[in-house]
Amino acid sequence: MPAYLDRRNNFGRSPAGGFQRLSFAGSATEYFGIWIVNILLTIVTFGIYSAWAKVRRNRYFYGNTVLLGRGFEYHAKGGQILIGRLIVFAYLIFYNVVLTVMPLAGLVIGLLFFFFVPWLLTRGLRFSARVTSYRNVRFDFVGRTGGAFLAFIVGPVLAALTLGILAPLASRWSYRYIGNNLRYGRKPFATDPSLGAIYKTWLPSAAMILLGLLIIGVIIAINITAMAPLMDDPDAISDELQASIGVLTVFIYVLIFAVFGTASLFYRAGVRNVAWSATTFDGKHRLLSDLSRFRYTWIAVSNFVVTLVTLGLMRPWAAVRMATYVNEHTAVRFEGEVGEIFSAIEQEGSAVGAEFMDIEGFDFGF
Amino acid sequence: MASDNPIIALGEWHPAGSSRSVPSRLAEAGERLTVHDDAGAELSNGKLSAVEISPRVGAVPRRITFPDGSLFETSDNAAIDRFLTRKGRGREGIIHRMERFHPRLIAFVAAAILLGTLIYRLALPALVEVAVAVTPPVVPRIMSSSTLEALDRTVLGDSELDEARRGRVLEGFRAIAAFSGRGKEDFTLNFRKGGAIGPNAFALPDGTLILTDELVELAGNDTEMIVGVLAHEIGHVELKHSLRQIYRAAGVAALIMLIAGDIGSGAEDVLVQGGGLLSLSYSRSAEAAADRHSVELMSKAGRDPTAIARFFQLIEMKLEDHSETSLFSTHPGTPERRKAILDLAAELRAQP
Repeated sequence: MPAYLDRRNNFGRSPAGGFQRLSFAGSATEYFGIWIVNILLTIVTFGIYSAWAKVRRNRYFYGNTVLLGRGFEYHAKGGQILIGRLIVFAYLIFYNVVLTVMPLAGLVIGLLFFFFVPWLLTRGLRFSARVTSYRNVRFDFVGRTGGAFLAFIVGPVLAALTLGILAPLASRWSYRYIGNNLRYGRKPFATDPSLGAIYKTWLPSAAMILLGLLIIGVIIAINITAMAPLMDDPDAISDELQASIGVLTVFIYVLIFAVFGTASLFYRAGVRNVAWSATTFDGKHRLLSDLSRFRYTWIAVSNFVVTLVTLGLMRPWAAVRMATYVNEHTAVRFEGEVGEIFSAIEQEGSAVGAEFMDIEGFDFGF
Repeated sequence: MASDNPIIALGEWHPAGSSRSVPSRLAEAGERLTVHDDAGAELSNGKLSAVEISPRVGAVPRRITFPDGSLFETSDNAAIDRFLTRKGRGREGIIHRMERFHPRLIAFVAAAILLGTLIYRLALPALVEVAVAVTPPVVPRIMSSSTLEALDRTVLGDSELDEARRGRVLEGFRAIAAFSGRGKEDFTLNFRKGGAIGPNAFALPDGTLILTDELVELAGNDTEMIVGVLAHEIGHVELKHSLRQIYRAAGVAALIMLIAGDIGSGAEDVLVQGGGLLSLSYSRSAEAAADRHSVELMSKAGRDPTAIARFFQLIEMKLEDHSETSLFSTHPGTPERRKAILDLAAELRAQP
């Protein structure tokens, strides 16, 4: 008897008021095979297989994401994704040709694209939602382009212009946009993360970046004062000095990458906790996310290092490790008898097959 | 009674579009598949050819969709595989069988690394050469005229050099252009005020050269030095460096986009940045090639092949305040360049 059937036995007997955690049933060894075959076939087919590779990867990760003993499902077909990719690819070639031939016209097209992106993102989100199902019922996404423009263009631009001070506002917009427009079997999700809570989780990251920049500034200052006497005489710029300046430049570059990477991971985990925990399904079932920000950051950073050191070969292990951790810290609390809830959920007719009108967009995942 | 049919697998059945599920069994009845609940009542059936069986991925539950839209789901993958094999449809599982954790995956890893290296080392440069070869001459022309227009509108100003000086530079320039592979009429020299660009000379892919007043000032009375720099720029044009650079960058970006797949966002950033560093090293080798071209062209024209070396010396002297950024730039270190030029010039002198 497979474990999956055993787990099914707890179905319908959820502890009243208790949170049901998600789990991840995949394994690194199993995914390794899928991953390497995906890469190999993608190379052999000059990239064409990459669309089918994505389908297999997502079917693996969705299918092993288990809630109440049942996995999620990913229904996209390789052909659909290939068409979307070809369109994006053709656009990129067109854009680059125009940019080399007429630099100024290229700028205009780039600006147009800027307004076109929200529309694409909306279509992409809708596609992703509609090709995802749980217990034979599909998700749907009903967001409009205007909301996407606010959440994915205005928000990030504001956050960048204010050096991250308004980043929580942007996070709130994007989570609200996704969370309030997601549907499952005609029933809505709703989310309203409070700005204050996001700012509270933003503070440590802001402090991290400030401290990091301060340390980097001190290192640069020390080095410049040490090198200044050597700079007076150009003939004295020896190869050693050149080399040490080179090493220093690389070191500072890596340091900046590390500081901003760590701070943004820390922030991402915190915001996810706030936003998911402020989300309900059908007005009464509560969602929960309780990632430890330290643990999440540690897993992401060590995954990255291990992947690099093993030239990518440990990537499958890293991906499974992260999926396992995130799933185990995501939960739903159902109000009432789970069996009854799920025997009443019917699929929205329009959501089925309608994804053929959409093209696969940018990945957001749920 | 239908339930006497051989059972293929146990699982759960959903009516079309509903999350309600019923424990059930899948059975085979001739050329049809049927689903019965535990009491033996038939829930759905369909011709084998009309029933959709999802391809296997790892141990993820199999979905069997009937023509009426209802769904039978089972985690007994092995049973479904056996059934398909019996029906002569075993080939459908070939991808999954390749993916199984097995020593042959080591061969797959080796093949992926080998093929990836081959593509980067051989296929990419070959593709770049093909792209350069098939690029119609009109493309560099349009590129150049539009780039010059954009530069003129933004940073460059009208030249303020006096006629005599300009004439001396032009005369030297025509003399070396006549000895270039493409001939004199393929190159035009434009004088501009550099403004923010400062002392500089650069070539556009169609043979349009731009020389800033600041560089002429920097050279003082040493016109030969300027001619040496222009010979270097002619080298860039003749070797089609800028086109190659564009195609190479596009090729590397496409490779990362297409082949990388799932490597994690951090590792993807590193790859892209690494690609940028690699293109820096490419442009360093391009600079060295253009230096060699300058020496050869100058000695062909019977001028001083070491002139460009004097220019580098001058840069080292005059631009000492140029901070360390120039060390990590697209150009090789000036002292080593000077040495390479002097060596090559000596070599050329030795063979009359």
